[in-house]
Amino acid sequence: MTTESLTTTPKSAARVARSVLVGIGAFTAVGIYVLVSSLGLGLWTSLGPGPGLFPFAMGGVLVAMALVWLVQELRRPSETAEGVDRGLVVAVVVSLAILASVMDLLGFQLSTFLFLMYHLKLRGRRTWVTSLIIALAGSVGAFYAFNYGLNVALPVSAFPLLNTIGL
Amino acid sequence: MDIFNELLGGFAAAMTWQNLLFAFLGCLLGTVIGVLPGIGPVAGVALLIPLTLNMDATGAIIMLCAIFYGTAYGGTITSVLLNTPGEAASAITTIDGYAMTKIGKAGAALTIAAVGSFVGGTIATVGLVAAAKPLGELGLLVGPPEFFALMVVGISLLVALAGKSMVKAVISGALGLLISMVGIDPVAGAPRFTFGVDRLLDGVSFVAVIVGVFGLSELLSYKKGSAPTNIHAPNFRSLLPTGKEWRRSAPAMARGTGIGFGLGLIPGMTGSVSSLLAYGAEKKFSRHRNELGKGAIEGVAGPETANNSHANAALIPLFTLGIPASPTIAVLMGAFLQQGLTPGPTLFTENSEIAWAIIASLFIGNLILLLLNVPLVGLWTSILRVPTTILTALILLFMVIGAYTINFTVFDVFVMIGFGLLGLALRHLDIPLAPMVLTLVLGPLMERSLRESLEISQGDFGIFVNRPISAVLIGLGLLIIFSPLFKLRKPKALNEDPET
Amino acid sequence: MKTRIHLAAAAAAGLLALTGCGANAGATNTASDFPRKGKSIEIVVAFGSGGAVDTAARLIQPVLEKELGTNVEVINKPGAGGQIGYTQLTSAKPDGYTIGATGSPSVVVSPLDPSRGAKYTRDSFQPLGRQVIDPTVIAVQPDSPYQTLKDLLDAAKASPKSMTASTTGLQTGEHFAMAQIQETTGSEFAPVHFSEGASQATTAFLGKHVDILVANVSDVTDLTKQGKARVLGVMSEERAPSLPDVPTFKESGYDLVAGTARGYSAPAGLPDEVAEKLEAALQKAIEDPAVVQKMNDLGLQTSYLNGDDYQQFWAAQEEDFKKVLPLVQKTD
Repeated sequence: MTTESLTTTPKSAARVARSVLVGIGAFTAVGIYVLVSSLGLGLWTSLGPGPGLFPFAMGGVLVAMALVWLVQELRRPSETAEGVDRGLVVAVVVSLAILASVMDLLGFQLSTFLFLMYHLKLRGRRTWVTSLIIALAGSVGAFYAFNYGLNVALPVSAFPLLNTIGL
Repeated sequence: MDIFNELLGGFAAAMTWQNLLFAFLGCLLGTVIGVLPGIGPVAGVALLIPLTLNMDATGAIIMLCAIFYGTAYGGTITSVLLNTPGEAASAITTIDGYAMTKIGKAGAALTIAAVGSFVGGTIATVGLVAAAKPLGELGLLVGPPEFFALMVVGISLLVALAGKSMVKAVISGALGLLISMVGIDPVAGAPRFTFGVDRLLDGVSFVAVIVGVFGLSELLSYKKGSAPTNIHAPNFRSLLPTGKEWRRSAPAMARGTGIGFGLGLIPGMTGSVSSLLAYGAEKKFSRHRNELGKGAIEGVAGPETANNSHANAALIPLFTLGIPASPTIAVLMGAFLQQGLTPGPTLFTENSEIAWAIIASLFIGNLILLLLNVPLVGLWTSILRVPTTILTALILLFMVIGAYTINFTVFDVFVMIGFGLLGLALRHLDIPLAPMVLTLVLGPLMERSLRESLEISQGDFGIFVNRPISAVLIGLGLLIIFSPLFKLRKPKALNEDPET
Repeated sequence: MKTRIHLAAAAAAGLLALTGCGANAGATNTASDFPRKGKSIEIVVAFGSGGAVDTAARLIQPVLEKELGTNVEVINKPGAGGQIGYTQLTSAKPDGYTIGATGSPSVVVSPLDPSRGAKYTRDSFQPLGRQVIDPTVIAVQPDSPYQTLKDLLDAAKASPKSMTASTTGLQTGEHFAMAQIQETTGSEFAPVHFSEGASQATTAFLGKHVDILVANVSDVTDLTKQGKARVLGVMSEERAPSLPDVPTFKESGYDLVAGTARGYSAPAGLPDEVAEKLEAALQKAIEDPAVVQKMNDLGLQTSYLNGDDYQQFWAAQEEDFKKVLPLVQKTD
């Protein structure tokens, strides 16, 4: 570190970004958890490494590297990338999670139809016609293509009522 | 020149209308299966075997083989265009392939991938014809200790993949290794990090992980107001690679062919190992290595060539020894057996004409694959013209179907979602994804072969250095790991671009 | 604007109605009208497509369809050495519409080991019929000094763990067979576990990385033909048809029988009528000449046992395995 670098105000934040700290913290936590639990798995057997050895090593590496990273950050905080679009992430992740949860219950066709309609009409603000056509193609169309075209079974509904209309 | 005559006879048999059609269908189906993430080559080939049972033996095998090496290309299409690998071996192509798409060069990437696949596949098949038997025996020389040594070399390339921050690369690698250890361990057969979940006893589904880490996290990382897809819809001229790109691809293809071919001979090596190592080799030896990760053509040419070279070379142990080198080939072998053909040396003595017809068809099939896919590059890239909102919705659906069809359970969809979030976090923290993929693939192979080696030697670690091949390989691996230390004396050399 | 919405809704309704053409009848079933036409029967295969278990199931599927008069589908639920599929099978309703392929030792062993946390026991299954039994064999390198089984076992007894022998993983059929041999004869080998399966073990053996290949008859038939392996003994009651020159362990003086067996079961608690119909159909399918021929091509010997006999066989296997379980679980 030269005097120049100390006196010139860097364009980037002088403090370590919060997300970086969270990341470092997370890796350290995971590393420690792995370290501890791998001890219980046994580090060595008569024939060589036990089931716990590699996890132990990796846990240790994670903690060590996280600490080195922390030191690097403290000396020279990096520029953070632009933030994430929280709305997008929440919408996508939640809708995916819901889709996965109900797919066995409602059957593939109905649940993906609703999923696609949500993304096309509500989030994408496409027209009704476009949304419906694509949603139908993606749900019913895909179901039949996979079922009869490739012999791959996508989920059907758990409700007998829905079964009778082919869902 | 007995072999030559037999081969010509094979060509004559392979070029009947029916067999050409079967080869074509196989390539087409293989490409489609490769495109769909969840249905890997194993399931794809297995699902289609019943269709072939009523066909004559030659035609059936021709089609199934075509499906097999066809999938090696299919996975590339979605990797390049949508950052969503269609199958394990295409995972590494997403890095430079998708980067090229973002700068409008999707067409060039796909074309080079197709040509590289052709080159790799054809040269490997030449190897099959020319020296099948000795090559097959060569593959047998690789026992668990040599396998482990190869894994050491592979993981040492993590150093090459490091990029700016070694610390972050190591974290990425350690993460990958840890994730790969979830499941029943090969040592004591007891569950490790499964938290009592039955589904995790087999480990985390690799395809679900990479679809999440690459594809989903990319989608999640879109910033407000940017519409990436519409930006990189290419015009006609950019569909083809430039002269410079062709020239740069040549050495990459050469390296890829060698790596894929060598590893394909080793039973137990999967295509993803070849493409990973080819990428690492490009990072280490290419003149343009500094551009890798930002859309360097070598990052596509190397792995793709290695991929197909591997797939075709992996048929050698099947033909010469009757040993399936991978689960997919095991399924293929089942098809052989159901048709009454026994793969192995007896195939050439008892069913010589059929054997040579199949081999001739490998050449034809590789050519068909090329002719099929290059003109379609324009069609594939036009996917990018679809408006972003629609494309995003369909890609999400695509990924869900893909994740579900791995094991026909929604659990894998949740895995994908989870890893999508992880990938997002890693991107945000500027942690490279490639080392994680590397260790995810190599980790289990390494732990398993270590264990097997020590069972053979009854605990003696000396087995790795007492055997010539493994000793050399371990030495090579150590050399690669410690090579950056030599470079520390001339830090400037790392940042110079030799080609400016 | 409104018309468009109406049109779209009509189209959607129309399409949904069309899907009814592919529907399954969901009405209630009674045992006497089993199987209801239009309701599919699922065969849950706990292993991946293309493997031996899956192939066998797909071979009997068309015959079952004919016999039962309804759709029969093979569903793959691979994972955890069969545990995932077996769990699914045993938690299904015992109404006859879900049956599964059950193979030993996987189905016998998985409930015995508490650390695996299997949610089923032997009593969760109702065996319907056994299809094949693939006996275990012991083979040495073609240039090995041992010509008979006795030579080999004596040598292994004299210097324990001096020779490496392959298995296809911890607690697999081969591992148990080796443990049984050790228990009965006192000879000890050093097991090397190739968890990727028989092909991996065979490859290592051919490359001379292990001394002894422990495998099934179907695995070694071709190798012996090519002279790449010398099979010293087969662990079955009678000599294997495809290996007529190989003495059984019994003939060589060791009363040991081991092998993998594959059959079909339903979740326990089937109504008697349903079980009868399923068993009869399965017998037809398993003994169908075309199926038997194809199984032979794959090197597998059809050896049918009906539901009751299969159940007894299974119980006997469980006893055998329980005896040597400590040996295969030993980790130091």
